[in-house]
Amino acid sequence: MENENISYCDCCAVKYDAVDAFCKACGFPLQGTQQEQDFYISERNVKEIELIDLDEKVERARNSLYWISGLTLFSLVFVAFKPAPDEDISFTVITTIILSAAFLGLAVWGKTRASTALISGLSLYLIIHILNALFDPLTIFSGIIVKVIIIVYLVKGIKSVIDRDKIRKELNLV
Amino acid sequence: MEEINVHSKKWSHLQGIGLFFLLEIMICATALMVEKQTMEILFYFQALAAITTLFFVGSDWENIRHLLRWKSFSFWKLGACIVLAVLCSLIVQVLVFYLNKTVSPEESNNYTLYQYHPYGNYLMVLSIAVLPAIFEELAYRGYLMQKLLHVVDRKEAIYISSILFFLIHFSLVSFFWLLPFAVLLAYIRIKENTLWYGIVIHFTFNLSSCLVDMLYP
Repeated sequence: MENENISYCDCCAVKYDAVDAFCKACGFPLQGTQQEQDFYISERNVKEIELIDLDEKVERARNSLYWISGLTLFSLVFVAFKPAPDEDISFTVITTIILSAAFLGLAVWGKTRASTALISGLSLYLIIHILNALFDPLTIFSGIIVKVIIIVYLVKGIKSVIDRDKIRKELNLV
Repeated sequence: MEEINVHSKKWSHLQGIGLFFLLEIMICATALMVEKQTMEILFYFQALAAITTLFFVGSDWENIRHLLRWKSFSFWKLGACIVLAVLCSLIVQVLVFYLNKTVSPEESNNYTLYQYHPYGNYLMVLSIAVLPAIFEELAYRGYLMQKLLHVVDRKEAIYISSILFFLIHFSLVSFFWLLPFAVLLAYIRIKENTLWYGIVIHFTFNLSSCLVDMLYP
């Protein structure tokens, strides 16, 4: 019976010694009363549910980066069909493709580095629209609902990333 | 209660970054809008950006102060920084020269802006090498990075500050050299915990390109 002193935490199933008051991995009150242990587990469950919700928000923000990429590419249709024969559109086309690729890249990168991708994506998006608006103020109003939705999703995503990192740390998931 | 505090602090750091960056975008974009660029207009916008930077740095002075010390000073590192900056600058100059030749045939030399003035050369060095080196470092590796470090880890702070630094230049073409350059500056700032190496590299880099412009107008 040499394993007598070794047991597994009820909460995270990590080994602990009989002398430990709290689990080293998750902080579960090993020597606490039943009530304390139940309270700990319910708190943890709440946080886990919160984490799922935050993950969804970050995912939505990341999806909006895909949307921006697609919409940017789609805007080429207007450039191609705009009757301006004497204007050289190759510069606009190349810029649009690069920007679309940049947003696509950020969206993919967001899987591993969510905060970097979302902050950069939001900045790039704002810069593009501020520059457009300065050169032609009417562009602010074209598709303003979509713009607002995208910005709201991105800002919410950035906020969620901060919360998510904090909860992950608390749950020892990092 | 403490958790809420930490969270709201992080969010307020991010808001600070957002406000600062928005102001920078507005200043730089307005400068871009001016149809006929002159030296005076350029200086005016530089002064505006510098004042904004100083204002924000002042608002977070307690946290940024330590970056202006130069504890790890060494002549070797300084020399290495200068050599590195000159080399990088020359390589980029050559690349940009050929790129400009193929992409946009029109001449884009800063020198013509300053030429007419009796102290044109000095003003050009001031405006291209001295002021950006000090204020961009203070803004991006100083204020912005210090705020980011409260919110994200070091690696992400390096990436984000570099990407924002690249974006504010409004130049897609410079992606290939501006982004690596910014990452290098940010890395050195984190590693040495001082702004001075960055300022020296930035200054030398810009000065070399400035001198090339003067020698081959």
